Amino acid sequence: MTYRQRRALTAYAFLSPAIVYFLIFFFWPIAIEFWASFRTGQPLIGESTYAGFTNYIAIVTDKLAIKAVSATMIYAIGSTVFTLVIALGLASILAGPLKARNTIRAILFFPYIVSFVISALMWKSILDPYTGLLNAALLKLGLPPQYWLTDPDAAIWVLVAVSVWKDIGYAVLIYIAAIQGIPSHLYQAAELDGARRFQLFRDITLPLLMPTTLFLAVVIMIASMQEMALPYLMTGGGPANATRLYSLHVYETAFQGLNIGYASALSFAMFLLILLITWVQFKLLNRDIRHV
Amino acid sequence: MTKSFWLRSTAVALALGLSGGATSAETLRVYFNAGHGYDTYMDAIAEFEADNPGWEVQFEKFQWPDLRTKLVADFAADNAPDLVANPGGWVPEFAFKDLLTPLDELAARDQAEFDFPGDWFDSAVAQNTINDQIYGLQIHLTCATLVYNKDMLADAGYDAPPTTWEEFREVAKATTKPGVFGFAPNSAFIYYWPWVFQNGGEYYNSEIGEVGIGSDASIEALQFLADLIHEDRSAPVPVAGADYEGPQKLFTSERAAMILTGPWDINPIRTGNPELNWGVAPSLTNAEQATIQGGVALSIPKGATHPDMAWELAKRLTSLEVEVETSLQYSMTMPRKSWLADERVQADPLLGQFGSCLPYSQPVQLPLSLTGKYDPAVDTVIQTAFEEVLYSNEPAADVLPEAAAEANKIIAGK
Repeated sequence: MTYRQRRALTAYAFLSPAIVYFLIFFFWPIAIEFWASFRTGQPLIGESTYAGFTNYIAIVTDKLAIKAVSATMIYAIGSTVFTLVIALGLASILAGPLKARNTIRAILFFPYIVSFVISALMWKSILDPYTGLLNAALLKLGLPPQYWLTDPDAAIWVLVAVSVWKDIGYAVLIYIAAIQGIPSHLYQAAELDGARRFQLFRDITLPLLMPTTLFLAVVIMIASMQEMALPYLMTGGGPANATRLYSLHVYETAFQGLNIGYASALSFAMFLLILLITWVQFKLLNRDIRHV
Repeated sequence: MTKSFWLRSTAVALALGLSGGATSAETLRVYFNAGHGYDTYMDAIAEFEADNPGWEVQFEKFQWPDLRTKLVADFAADNAPDLVANPGGWVPEFAFKDLLTPLDELAARDQAEFDFPGDWFDSAVAQNTINDQIYGLQIHLTCATLVYNKDMLADAGYDAPPTTWEEFREVAKATTKPGVFGFAPNSAFIYYWPWVFQNGGEYYNSEIGEVGIGSDASIEALQFLADLIHEDRSAPVPVAGADYEGPQKLFTSERAAMILTGPWDINPIRTGNPELNWGVAPSLTNAEQATIQGGVALSIPKGATHPDMAWELAKRLTSLEVEVETSLQYSMTMPRKSWLADERVQADPLLGQFGSCLPYSQPVQLPLSLTGKYDPAVDTVIQTAFEEVLYSNEPAADVLPEAAAEANKIIAGK
C-alpha cells in the first residue's frame, strides 16, 4: 500500500463514523421515503403495492396541495423579501457610529434565540381578536378591533410578519458583518469623485453585499418553504386552509390521513421545487463581484 | 494498586447492576393523552405495579396529534406500545388497517370478574366494533351540550336556558352587548355537528353511501350558525388554531353567555372563575334533540409485546371504582352503565347533566368509519367548506353541495 493510499484510508477511517451516521439516519430514511412514494396502500405500516408515478400525478389534481403550494410561496417570498429589505435597512444604520447600536442589535437578535413554539404561542395570544393584547390596546385608543387570525386574507400575512420578526435579527447581524467587511477606501474614492450617500449605497454597498444577500435569500427561502411549526401552532392551517403551508399538508397527509405513499411523493415534489427555486436564486443573485 | 482495585470493583459493580437491571423488570409501554394523566389513573398504575412485582409501567403522555404521529411512526418501526388511548374514530381506522388486537377473547376469558361489554353503553361498544370484533375498551364517554351563564341570562330576562333554536337565537341576541357575545362557537371540527344533527342532518348516510353535508338540513344548520355571527352579531368568528380553548376562555371571563362544550371544561371553568354562576343545559332541539359524542378507548396494538398485561392494566383503569373516582375528581363522564347509576355520580349536578346527554349523543364520523372508507381528507374538505361559510360568509347553499361532491369523490376512491 502506498503512502497516498494509507493516508486516504486513514482519512476514511476517521470519517467513517460520520458517513455511517449520515447513511443510517439521513440517507436511509430518504431512500425509504423515495421507495414509499411509488407505493399505494399502507407503505411502512402495512400492505402496499407498486403504483408507479400515480402519487406524483395525483399532486397535480390535489386542490389542497395546490392551495398549500400557493400559500407556501406567498409565505416564503414574503418572509424572504421583507426580512432582507428590512434587515438591510437596519444593518446600514446599525453598522454606522450609532450610540446605542449594541443594545439595538441585542434587542433585534433576541427573537431569533426564542423558541419558535414560544414565539408562535406568544403572538397567537397577542393577536387573538377577542382576548388578545393588541385589540385591547386598539379598543383603549378608540380604534376598531382587527381580526387578523380569523380573516382568510390576512392570516397568511400575520405568519409572514411573525416570521420576519423572528428572523430579522439574524439577517441584520450577517449584513452588519458584511458591511463592515467592505473596504473603506472604496467609499473614500467614490466620495472624492463626488458620489452622494445614496449613490454610495446603490453602487458600492448593495453590489458588494450580493453574496451575503444570496446566502440569506437561499437560507431564509429554504427554511420558509419547509415551515410547519408556525401555522401548526398559530392557526392550525386555517381559517379555511388559508395558512395550510405545504409541510403542514404533508404532515397531515402522512400522520392524520395515514396516506404515507402520497405524503412521500408530496415531500419529493417539494424537494424538487426547493431545488428549482434555489437554482433560480443563484442564477439571479450570484454575481461575481470583486473589490481590489 | 488501590486505584486499580477501586476501578475494577466499580466496573464489576456496574456490570452486575446493569445486568441485574436488564433482567429484573419488564416494561409495559402505555401511550395516553396529556390531559388525562389523572391521579386516579396513577394510583391504579401504582397498584398494578405493586400487584405484579417485576413489572413497570412506562406511562407516556402526548397531545392527540402528537400521540398519533408517535403511534404511526411506531407502527412503521415495528415498535408499537402495549396499550394506547384513542380518541373517537381512531379505533375503527386502525382496526381496518389490521393494526389492533381484537379484545373479544380476553373479554370472554374474564367475563365473570369484568363485565365487558355488558356494562358498557351500547354506543361505547358499537364505536369499537368492526366486523363483529371489539378492538377498543372505552374508558371515557363524553358529549358536548349547552353551558350557560345563569346571571347573564337572568339579567337579560331569562330564568331558564333555551331549549330550541328559536329560543337560543333570541337569548343570544339579548345577552350580546359591547365586548360580550351571546354565544361563542368553537372552530374545532366536531363542534359544528350538534347543529347539523339537531336539524336532522348527518355526517354520512350509509344507505346511499354519501356524506350528508349537501342536504338541506346541513345547509340550514350551517347558515343558522353563520347568521348568528354575521347577521345577528351575537357570536364571534371562531379563532382557528391548534387548541380549542377560546370559547371556554371567553365564557370563563364572562365575555360569552353560552358555549357548547363537554365535561372536560368543567374544571377549567371552575378554577378559572370560581365565582361564575353557571349551569349545564340539555342539548337544544330543532328537528330533534341531539348532540355529538366523544370519548377515549383503550386498545392493544397488534405488535404489542405484552398484550395480556396490557389488558390487565386496561381493566384496572376502567374499573367502576376508578371511573367513579375519576369522574368525581376530574369531571369526566364514563362509558359504564353502572357508573351512571352510581349515587355519587347522580348527586353531582354538572356530571349528571352531561351524563343525561349521552343517550341521545352520536359519534360524528362513526357511520363512515364502520364502513372502512373513512379518510381524514373528507373531514378536511368539510371543515374547509364550513370555514368558508363561517369566516368568509359565503352562502352555505353554494359551498356545501360542492364540498359534498368533493368528499364523496374521496370516499368513492377508497
